[in-house]
Amino acid sequence: MRSIARKRWRRTKVRVLSAIIPATGAVPGIDPERCAEFLTRYRREAPFLPRLALNLSVLVFLLSPPLTGAGLRPALALSPDRLEHHCEGLGRHRLYHLRQVTLMLKTVAGLVWGADPAVRDSLGLAPYAEDPTDWRTE
Amino acid sequence: MRGEHISFRSGALIEVEVDYVIVGSGPGGSAAAAILSRAGRTVALCEAGAWRDTPHLPATLFGAMRDLFSDFGQMMTRGRSMIPIVQASCVGGTGVINSAIVVRTPESILEGWARDHGLGDFLTPAAVERAQTEIEAELDVAAMGEGQLGRHDRLLLKALEATGREGHPTARSAGDCRGSGACLQGCPTGAKRTGNLTWIPEVLDAGGCVLSCAPVSRVVFEGERAVGVRGRFRHPDRAYHGPKGAAFRVRARRGVLIAASATGSAPLLARSGVRLPALGTGFRAHPGSGVIGVYPERVDPLIGTTQGASSVHHSGDLGIKLESLTLPLDLLPSRLSGAGSTLARSLAESSHMAMWVAAVNAEAEGTVHGARLPTLRGGPYGKNVVSYQPTQGDIARLRAGCATIARLHFEAGATKVLPGIHGVPVELDRDQIHLIEEAPLDNRAWTWILSHLFGTCALGADPARSVVGPDLHVHGRKNLHVVDASCLPTTLGVNPQHTIQAVARLTAERLANTEAA
Repeated sequence: MRSIARKRWRRTKVRVLSAIIPATGAVPGIDPERCAEFLTRYRREAPFLPRLALNLSVLVFLLSPPLTGAGLRPALALSPDRLEHHCEGLGRHRLYHLRQVTLMLKTVAGLVWGADPAVRDSLGLAPYAEDPTDWRTE
Repeated sequence: MRGEHISFRSGALIEVEVDYVIVGSGPGGSAAAAILSRAGRTVALCEAGAWRDTPHLPATLFGAMRDLFSDFGQMMTRGRSMIPIVQASCVGGTGVINSAIVVRTPESILEGWARDHGLGDFLTPAAVERAQTEIEAELDVAAMGEGQLGRHDRLLLKALEATGREGHPTARSAGDCRGSGACLQGCPTGAKRTGNLTWIPEVLDAGGCVLSCAPVSRVVFEGERAVGVRGRFRHPDRAYHGPKGAAFRVRARRGVLIAASATGSAPLLARSGVRLPALGTGFRAHPGSGVIGVYPERVDPLIGTTQGASSVHHSGDLGIKLESLTLPLDLLPSRLSGAGSTLARSLAESSHMAMWVAAVNAEAEGTVHGARLPTLRGGPYGKNVVSYQPTQGDIARLRAGCATIARLHFEAGATKVLPGIHGVPVELDRDQIHLIEEAPLDNRAWTWILSHLFGTCALGADPARSVVGPDLHVHGRKNLHVVDASCLPTTLGVNPQHTIQAVARLTAERLANTEAA
């Protein structure tokens, strides 16, 4: 049960991050599959507070459409146009801490998007190598 | 006899005895360690982070946050706005992730320190110049050549020249830079001559000892005399669930040198029982922000040096230094305004962007201390609490700097600029630069970043206003020195790494010579 809830919550986070950086004609947006993989890695490798900050930011994003005038429904239940309005409104909100929520989401979305080989290829950049997991021990 | 590198281990207490123990392996700590080793002293360097050689360096920004940055890159100032602080925690310190820019200490700064802080005959302009000349020779310092500069650098130089402003390719301790544009993740080619590649291996060759993954918890005293440090090894992998790290003690026969950075040294001394009124106060920095120009042709900002061009033209009148800067693609979204389609459209133009930044020689002062409540031990993001906010004057200087940068972008041929200021449109054309000049003088409207940190253990003759004396010796204690940016009593207006290295080198020379005499 806990595992199902966790998977559903991860899918929600993927959808929120995908809304932050959607695809344009020229450049891909967030790839949901890669994003899900990244979130698993984030959960495993990031410290507690950044993980908490991401979860809280997603929660605020979901519940704050009334504050951006996008509607009364949770963000992911909005129409694409209203969701777009919400994304934009939250990032430019007069309340600093709401803008910081968007900054947190943009930071994590950027980590997924900027490391995506398809995105990098579309911008003429070489793909990243794998991050090593070792260090000097001797 | 080659020395020993001791990385994470569990089990019994690890004990080491040396002549000097140095806490922190960044530019200050590694410079002092090399000089003491050359003088025949045995040295132990204690570093909280792991030792990552070039093949171990991460490729992605997430990897850099995990492996190199202090507190996962989430270290922020506390105050009206949250400003990220860029520091590293690894062998080599912040030198591993910065752009290795080398600027000599302005003579006017040293004169000011001598006048206002009573430096005596220690950090004289001549001594600092001699030390910096030697460091430049050892670290392969060179101005970036035409083949190393990126197009974003050349555009800045072109705009500066066209408007009659001073501008120059930066000198960097990376003479063999291949323009990977990845300084923030650690140089993938090893061209950046950081302490972990230069001076620290020299310490090992001289029989010294390096303890990595070894955060120091306290300096140990016998009476007023510092006799060593202690701490406990910390595994660098957060997923590690094995036995906890072993405790370690390093006994220092001749002295302890603290080089744990402007955010780390003061809390360490405070934890160790040092009580001085100025400890942890006088924290200063060069906060900065940037303006992105979008050009009709490709700029390819990730090709070329990370920071290849700079200008001190406005150091006097505006108190700002201008520099080119490349951001990794993974970091760019957090720097751009908007979210959703607006952000995606901006990102689609990223290969046509050049980012130039203004670093403010700020007047603001802050404090650094360890968290007081046990439940918040280490503050909201893990370690020490930095309270700091730029003043209205600092914001005004930044605003003027950003407007100047916007004009320079248009002079270089940009079609629009992206200022990233709350309350200002996402994109501006040439006729809208006045909107930057009219932007609010509110910290929360600006996208700051805090680099070049100073103070909290400032030097000076008066123990009521300083923590270390003119010879960097901690007031009221014996055999305890501070040799990092925390001892610098003011901002420099230029990149501080070279000054930190010179101050540490001169202190180490003095220690070695005093004993020899």
